[in-house]
Amino acid sequence: MFYHLDSVGKGNRLTTQEYNEESILARASQGDRDAFGQLYEHYIERIFNYVYYRTGNLHDAEDLTARVFQRAMNHIKNYTNRGLPFSAWLYRIAHNLVANWHRDRSRKQEIPLDDLPVVPTRGDHPERNLVRSQEQEALLRMIRRLPGERQNLLILKFVENMSNAEIGQIMGRSEGAVKSLYHRTLLSLRDHLEDQNLNLEGD
Amino acid sequence: MTSNKDLILLESHLAGTLKRVSPPSDLIRRLRERIRVPDRAEIMLRLKDWRRLLLVFGGVMSVLMLIITVARALYHLVGRRTIG
Repeated sequence: MFYHLDSVGKGNRLTTQEYNEESILARASQGDRDAFGQLYEHYIERIFNYVYYRTGNLHDAEDLTARVFQRAMNHIKNYTNRGLPFSAWLYRIAHNLVANWHRDRSRKQEIPLDDLPVVPTRGDHPERNLVRSQEQEALLRMIRRLPGERQNLLILKFVENMSNAEIGQIMGRSEGAVKSLYHRTLLSLRDHLEDQNLNLEGD
Repeated sequence: MTSNKDLILLESHLAGTLKRVSPPSDLIRRLRERIRVPDRAEIMLRLKDWRRLLLVFGGVMSVLMLIITVARALYHLVGRRTIG
């Protein structure tokens, strides 16, 4: 069963021109709740995605996403832009909370299959869709067995379409280190696939 | 060469699997409510609402009475058993 997620109403979203993060941050750090609300609207979807892929279920993703923004709101006065973008600061909060969550559960959690965000490719033959979905399920299970740092890297790269430099800022690593870690992650995933005799279909 | 092809294929599958999802709108709304802190004016307004205050006071007193009653009942039962 595929989990279907509705799209978010974007009625109160600001356009790129209207969204001036620097001034919004300045106001938010002085306790302006409306300004923080704008930051919330801007980042909610990205943080939710990150937490969702790291936890594998909607309920915990909702709870942790709320805690990320609560913590950000309580500590926004401490945020000073020293070369670290606000988004990186938020992701670090999210990363710490997810790490604590995993520690609390003290066991590796499998993604419940019902919650997997598998999106069938439009226009494909149904039988082919089924194969692709099973592949995706297997691949997601494999990703979930990777160390947290490697999961972060894959989520930021593919879900958030971030560059190695941006990922480096969040993970506190150099661009080269991220590139190297990415290559090792791919090799490790490929080896796991071979170990389990899983063949990915080519296009 | 084959190894590179494998990795490119794996990358394309990762791109197809790790897609951005849109959280449901009710979830966004719930989250917004959860992180929202009422401003000072709203808190003052709530404090001026005597009906709400009476309700809160009544609720707290009821819960306290319930706790005291249960505690007394437990004490009574345990005390009786110890004497017996």
